Amino acid sequence: MTNIENEITALLSNRLGEKILQTRTLQPDKICVSVDAKSHKDALNALLETDENAGLSALTGVDLGKTIELMYHIRTHGIIVTISTEVPKEDAKIKSITDLILGANFHEREVADLFGVTFEGHPNLKRLILAEDWPKNLFPLRKDAEIVNPNIAENGNVSSSDEQRSDDGELVNIIVGPQHPALIEPEKFSLKVDGEIVKEIEPRIGYVHRGVEKAAEKRTYLQDLYLVERICGICNACHATCFCQAVEAILGVNVPPRAKYLRTLILELNRMHSHMLLLGHAGFEVGYETLFQYMWRDRETVMDIVEQLTGNRVIASFVTIGGVRRDLPEETIPKIKAQMTALKGKMGFYKHLFENDPTFRMRTKNVGVLSKQDALKLCVVGPVARGSGVNMDVRKDEPYAAYGETPFNIVTYSEGDSWARLMVRLDEISESIDIINYVLDNVPTGPYRIRVPRIVPAGEAINRVEAPRGELFYYVKSNGTAYPERVKVRTPTFANILSFVRIAEGGNIADVPASFVSLDPCFSCTDR
Amino acid sequence: MSLDIEFVFNVLIFPGFTFIVLFTMFCDWVERKIEARMQNRMGPTYTGPAGVLQPLADFLKLLTKEDIVPSDTRNFVFRLTPLLSFSSFVFTFLFLPINGANAILSLNFEGDLIFILTLVSIANFFLFLSGWSSTNPYSAIGATRVLTQLLGYDIPLFLLAFAPAFLAKNLNISAIASSQNIPFALLIPWTFVLFIIALQAELEKDPFDIPHAETEIVGGYETEYTGRRLAFLKLAKDVQIVLGAAIVVELFLGGPYGPVFFGLSTFWYALWFVLKLLAVIVISEYLTCVFARLRIDQVVVASWKFLLPLSILSLVATVAVGLWLIPMAGMV
Repeated sequence: MTNIENEITALLSNRLGEKILQTRTLQPDKICVSVDAKSHKDALNALLETDENAGLSALTGVDLGKTIELMYHIRTHGIIVTISTEVPKEDAKIKSITDLILGANFHEREVADLFGVTFEGHPNLKRLILAEDWPKNLFPLRKDAEIVNPNIAENGNVSSSDEQRSDDGELVNIIVGPQHPALIEPEKFSLKVDGEIVKEIEPRIGYVHRGVEKAAEKRTYLQDLYLVERICGICNACHATCFCQAVEAILGVNVPPRAKYLRTLILELNRMHSHMLLLGHAGFEVGYETLFQYMWRDRETVMDIVEQLTGNRVIASFVTIGGVRRDLPEETIPKIKAQMTALKGKMGFYKHLFENDPTFRMRTKNVGVLSKQDALKLCVVGPVARGSGVNMDVRKDEPYAAYGETPFNIVTYSEGDSWARLMVRLDEISESIDIINYVLDNVPTGPYRIRVPRIVPAGEAINRVEAPRGELFYYVKSNGTAYPERVKVRTPTFANILSFVRIAEGGNIADVPASFVSLDPCFSCTDR
Repeated sequence: MSLDIEFVFNVLIFPGFTFIVLFTMFCDWVERKIEARMQNRMGPTYTGPAGVLQPLADFLKLLTKEDIVPSDTRNFVFRLTPLLSFSSFVFTFLFLPINGANAILSLNFEGDLIFILTLVSIANFFLFLSGWSSTNPYSAIGATRVLTQLLGYDIPLFLLAFAPAFLAKNLNISAIASSQNIPFALLIPWTFVLFIIALQAELEKDPFDIPHAETEIVGGYETEYTGRRLAFLKLAKDVQIVLGAAIVVELFLGGPYGPVFFGLSTFWYALWFVLKLLAVIVISEYLTCVFARLRIDQVVVASWKFLLPLSILSLVATVAVGLWLIPMAGMV
C-alpha cells in the first residue's frame, strides 16, 4: 500500500470508528471498506473531503444471495478507494448519493434497473437501460432472475411515443435518435427547443443493451475475453487489457515484460485510430466533409499497422490472459516507425488547421463549455475532463503495462469547450506516436506470453485502463471456478454522457451535434 | 411572333428545357466529381463514361420509388411545391441568353434583370413552403432557416447585381452581358467576390448549407419527401445551382459572348457559356470543400454586419469607378 492509501485508511477509521464493519483488499492492493447501509454517506463524505478532485468512478452491484452488495468506487488522489455496503434483497432500499456526487445519477439508475435497488432521494429514477415494457419485478443481474423468456405482456404495451409527440406550449419537442443521421448508434435525446435554442434535454440510453455483464457470468474467463472485446469495436484492446489485468491480479501472475510493451503498443494504436475517427467525425458534424475524408484516409495507416501486428483490422484479439497472442516480428519495426514519422508530419498539418481555420473555430470555440467545477461534479473522465483542465490520466496515476517506464505528457486544455476537447485528442495522437516510437526502440526480448490456469481462485479485483475515451473500469469477482461470479464494466462514455445535458442546454440547436461529438460518445460501450 | 417550329424548338430543346435539364445533370456530375477528387475520393464512376450518367440514373431511380405523402401534411401545398419550385427555376433560366439570345426571344425586355432576381427569390420561397407544409419538426426548422438565410443575403445580392447594370447603363440582362468587352469580374473584382459569397448562401452551399444540415435536422425541408416529388425537389435544387452560376456568367463574365472562330455563332456562344459556367461551378465547389458549416445566427450576423454594408460600399465604389471608366470609350 502506498502512503496515500495508508493515510486514507487511517482517516476513514478515525472518522467512522465503529461504523466500519470490515476492511478487505481488492486485488491488486485496493482498499475496500464495508459499512452498514445507513452510514455509507458518512463514509463517502469523509472520502470526498480528502481530495477536492474526488469523484465516483463506478457503482457496482453484486448479488450475494440474501443481500445485494453495493460498492461505491471512489476516485481520490488518482487511486480507487471502495466503500461497500449491503442492502437486503427483499427490501432493497438505500439513500441516494446524488446530493453528494451529481455524477452518480446514471450509475444509480443503472443499478436500480439491473438489481432493483431503490435509491431514495434520487431526482429521476426512471428506466435507463431496460425497455419500458420490461417486466416490473425482473432484475436481470440478480442471480435468481429468470430471463430466458421474460413475460413482457405482463406490463402491457407501454409505449413512449405519446410523450414524444406532445409539444408543450411554446417549446417544440425534437427527438434526436434512436435513428438520426448525427448518431451512428441508436440512443435517444429528446430536445425541447425554443426556435433555435435548446431548453431541455432528456437522454435515454439502453436501446442496444446486450447484457454483456450477465453473459460474462455464463462463460469461462477465456471466453469472456472475446466477449468483452466486443463491447466496443474501437477500443477493443482496452477492454481486453483491462479484463486480463483484473484476472491476472486475482491469479497473482506476472506478465512478462515483452508482453507489457506489446500491450502498450496495441493500446496506443487503439487510441490513435479512435481519436482520428472522432476528429474526422467532428469535421463531418460541423459540415466540414473534406476534413472528415482526409482524417479517415490517414486513419487507414493505423489500421494497416494493427493488421500487420495482430492479423485483424479492428477486433484485434491480441491481448490474452498471461500476455499477448502474437509476437512482434523484428522486420516490421522499421516499417511501423516510417509510418509513424509520416503521420507525425500530418498531425502538424491538422494542428495548424484546427488552430487557424476560421469556420471550424467559429463552430467549436466557446461551444458546449464545461467548466472545471462541473467536470469534477459530473465525474467525467478522459479527454472530456482533460479538455476542462482536470489533470487525470490512469496511465500516469496508476501506471499499467509499460506506461510506468515510458515518457509521455498528459495533454490538458483549460478552455473546456468543444475545440479544447478536440485539441486534447489531436495532441494525444502526437503523444501516442512518441510512445509507440519509444516502445519500438525499447521493447525487451523474452517470452511474450505465459500459461495460466483455467480455474481462477476466489477473489476480487478492480482494474482501470485509460481507454481513448477515458478511464475504463472493470470489477471482476471470482468464486474459485472457471466461471466468474460477477464482471462489472463501467465504460468511459457512461461516465461522460451526463455532461452532454450540461453542455448542450441553453445552446443553439446547430451546436448540439458539434458539442455532442466532442464527447466522443460510444453507445456500443454504454449499452454493454 | 407566331408559334412556329423555331420557337418550339428554342423553348423545348435548345437552349430551352431539354438543354437546361441535361446540362444541369452534367453540372451535377462535375460538382460531384470535383468535390470527390478534392476530398480524396473517386466520385461517380460506374454509370456511363466516368460516371457521367450517374445524376440521370439517380433521378430516374427516384422517379420509380414509392411516393408517400404523410397523412397530416398540408396536402395541396405539399404536393405542388416540388413542381412549382422546379418550373420556376427553369422558367427563370429561359430569360438568360445562352447561345447569344434567350429561349423566348420576344420576352427580352428592358428591366428583365429585376424580373429574374425576383423570380429567383420567389422560387426560394417555394422551397420554404415545401418544408413548412411537411409538418415535421426537422422540415419546419429547415424551412425557417431557408427564410432566415434569405433575409440575410437577398438584399446584398440585389444590390450587387445592380453594379454591372450600372456599368452597362442597362437593366436588360442580354445588354449587360453583351456590353462586356472586358468582363466586369476584372473591372470590379470586389463586387464579383461579394456576389460569389452571397450566391453561396443563396445556393445553400458550404459554409451556408444550413437549411439542410443533415447532422442537425436530417434532410431539412426535404425530410418528408419521397419518390418523384423528392426527385423534382432535388432537380430543382440542381437547376438553382446552375441558374445561380449562369447569372454570375451573365453579369460578370460577359455572358455567352466570346470569339467566334468559324461557322455558326450559336455554337461558339453556347460553348463559351458552358465553359464559363463550369468555371464558376469549380469556384463554388472549391469554397464548399474548404469551409465548415456556419451556424444560422452567425450567418445572420455576417449578412447584416458585413455583407450588407460591404455591398453598399461596393456599389458606391462601382459608381465612382463607373463615372470615371465609362467616359473612356471602348473600355466598356
